[in-house]
Amino acid sequence: MTGFSRKHGALFTVLAAGAAALVALRLFDPATSGVFPPCPLRVLTGWYCPGCGSLRAFHQLLHGNLRNAWLLNPLAVVSLPFLAYGMASHAVFVVRGRYLPRVFLPASWIRALCVGIVVFGIVRNIPVYPFSLLAPGGPGLR
Amino acid sequence: MFCPQCGTNNPDGVVTCTRCGRDFRTVMPTTPAAAIPPGYPAGVHVPNYLVFAILVTVLCCLPTGIAAIVYAAQVNGKLAAGDIAGAQQASNNAKMWCWISLGAGLLVCVLYALLIMLGVMSHRSY
Repeated sequence: MTGFSRKHGALFTVLAAGAAALVALRLFDPATSGVFPPCPLRVLTGWYCPGCGSLRAFHQLLHGNLRNAWLLNPLAVVSLPFLAYGMASHAVFVVRGRYLPRVFLPASWIRALCVGIVVFGIVRNIPVYPFSLLAPGGPGLR
Repeated sequence: MFCPQCGTNNPDGVVTCTRCGRDFRTVMPTTPAAAIPPGYPAGVHVPNYLVFAILVTVLCCLPTGIAAIVYAAQVNGKLAAGDIAGAQQASNNAKMWCWISLGAGLLVCVLYALLIMLGVMSHRSY
């Protein structure tokens, strides 16, 4: 690998932006402050998208509150470790020229994941008992 | 051509990879096995951008992110079938849709910031 390249600069920029976002997310609750933009789908249509509640969930996670995070967006909580590992893998690639150990996902798994995300987004809009648990928040939120 | 080591799309005719410096004249049969994740078809790495596709789908909440995930699935499907050229095509599409999604998401953020600023200003002037 040759010295400090454009890729290193890009990685540094992304890391700095990510750190700044985490600090802001720790300091300001997206539920009560206007610092973070709302979900465009929610604003335009009133429907929840698969990601609705994820910023609020990450805010709760940064305060160590797994229960509230889960109630806001279980999908975000479950997928966070995998996404974090994937991002770390790309960062390691920029620095060391190789990825962290990875698993080759069959195309059918990725399609199933895609369908799962879409179905989660649809189902959490159904205001009937078992499905309403998947909407962001709810009575259990403290 | 696509670098067999890091997957970078290099301009045609270059001798070494513009990103990792890999020498294309000698590499084809000698890609180290250790660099290839288990389960990958021999010797090729075509990025599928799945992590970014999911991130932009969930954080930017846009249907364009779904397109990126579908192309990510195509990359792995074509790789498994041995269709390297098709996988690279799908990889490019996945990358493009990731950037489109990210751009749209950032656009929403900028618009939101503008609205907030306008709101604050009009609030102050009345």
